[in-house]
Amino acid sequence: MNDEKKSDSIQLEEVSSRGLPPLSANHESRTGEADSSGAVGSVSLKKTQGFFAERPLPAIEMATRVLSHLTRRDVLVFGAGALAALAGAGFLLPQETLRRWGARNVNFPAKEWFLNRALRIDDDVAETLYSGNRRVPTYTKSQITPLKNNYNGATPDPGYISGWNLTIDGLASGLSISLDIRNLLTRFSVQEQITRLVCVEGWSAIAWWAGLRFDDLLRAFPPPSQAKWARVESSVNLDASGNPDPYFMSLDLATARHPQTLLATHFNGQPLTVDHGAPLRLLVPVKLGLKNVKAITKITYVAEEPRDYWAERGYSRYDGI
Amino acid sequence: MSHSTPLGCEPNFTSTSLEEPGVLVAKRHHLLVRWSHWLNVPILLGLILSGISIYWASPVYQHKPDPNTGNVDVAADIGIWLCTHVPGLHHYVSPPDWIYNHLSLGPGMLALALRLHWLCAYSFMLNGVVYLAGLFMGGGWRSLLPRRADLFDAVRMLRYYLGFPFAKLGRRKWLHPRFNTKYNALQRAAYFSVPVAGCLSAATGWAIHKPMQLHWLAGLFGGYDAARVWHFWLMWVYILFVVPHVILVFADGWDTLRSMIAGWTTRVKRSKVIANER
Repeated sequence: MNDEKKSDSIQLEEVSSRGLPPLSANHESRTGEADSSGAVGSVSLKKTQGFFAERPLPAIEMATRVLSHLTRRDVLVFGAGALAALAGAGFLLPQETLRRWGARNVNFPAKEWFLNRALRIDDDVAETLYSGNRRVPTYTKSQITPLKNNYNGATPDPGYISGWNLTIDGLASGLSISLDIRNLLTRFSVQEQITRLVCVEGWSAIAWWAGLRFDDLLRAFPPPSQAKWARVESSVNLDASGNPDPYFMSLDLATARHPQTLLATHFNGQPLTVDHGAPLRLLVPVKLGLKNVKAITKITYVAEEPRDYWAERGYSRYDGI
Repeated sequence: MSHSTPLGCEPNFTSTSLEEPGVLVAKRHHLLVRWSHWLNVPILLGLILSGISIYWASPVYQHKPDPNTGNVDVAADIGIWLCTHVPGLHHYVSPPDWIYNHLSLGPGMLALALRLHWLCAYSFMLNGVVYLAGLFMGGGWRSLLPRRADLFDAVRMLRYYLGFPFAKLGRRKWLHPRFNTKYNALQRAAYFSVPVAGCLSAATGWAIHKPMQLHWLAGLFGGYDAARVWHFWLMWVYILFVVPHVILVFADGWDTLRSMIAGWTTRVKRSKVIANER
């Protein structure tokens, strides 16, 4: 091996001594880059403008066969990479997309697992970014923008409001308590805020809310210390055709304790309308809109992450923004 | 450096006889630059396709609801226009979805598109770091820096490109302007802009992904909604870059393409010019 190498460099030395330019291979290959600029640029260095100036590419002498071998090898590697990318695309793209492009209908169980891994990484990043002390920007009344009724299904019939109660379960006391809207409003102080609500779809609205702080509710009716999550649900939620479709959502208690996380009772200075989740909705500006449950009927504190309506439909679970 | 001992790695080629002629070659692109360059192809495709699917959920460009269809989306209008005016598309089943069916993963798949977008976005940022590492390890970053004469040289190059088809038609000689540098001024501007656009895409992406924790970042771009618009138009930088980029690489020939696959170029005369004539 060593002998063979030597024969190469001998060959090059001979070639270069036969009158090729001074930037010959044997010199380069021995001295490496640090020196090469000196060797190649012994003339040019005088005029280069220093650190930022472009430097000539160090040239070496290479046998034609070596060059074509190296090129062939790298083209093959490149082709293999292109095939791998194609296979990766077939593996990762949604079935519906592949079908539309006329590709064979394939589904791997690992695909869901892999994409969910990526989603969990993004959730972990979001959780790392969260700080309980960092407040979200607030706005003035002149900056308020319209907020549409974004019930995913049909808007519930307002009949439920008169008999409405908030049930809180999973408390440290072991009791289950039930509060009506008058209890809530007399017992807790009301906080007003004008914040932005951001939807996973990309639109957002700046709205004026008022309500009690979730943190105050947690202090008044504390969960046991091992509880890390709240399951927030609305039993009055409907699907698109008007059938009952209870909405349930997971909320980490760290976010519930954020000073701007409200159980909102008022919108634009008026009690919530049925469109916006009368009589009590969650307003958690550090989360996507889909976590802002309307017409909450029950809050349960649990130790393990509870199920989440939209996470079961392919969206992320933490949804911190 | 990898270019310093290419022959030492190739002991099998000792049969290269003493008589066989050699060529002068130079390593034009560092290994990491080449890898990250090609990885950008699937990653950017994934980002754009999933990005337009995400755009579908809440288009940036909207108008008042159309009285007949209720449509608000300009992209849907374009699809409808295409299906009305382009022969062969008249019977397309869902004209408002034409754009999304052909230029994205498809309409109505936000959850899937988001998951792919995050996957590609993290890959894109990692790949950008690899690219920058390659630029610095191979010294290639110096060739990308703007120069004082760039504006003038860019005009020369533009004049060359614009005049090229006419000169060909008139069978006149049309000489490529000579440069002693790795790239001409137009190339340099393009190759410098794309990584800058990459950084801006990542920054605006974070701004709209985490508009509360990183609200200062959204503020840099004029707020949450403006950051979305930035993010949308930055996509067009890549699209507008890629089209001439691919055409010109093929026009320039095999050596240029090989230098991005294998790294080697045999066009080393220019570097000699730098070394000897300056």
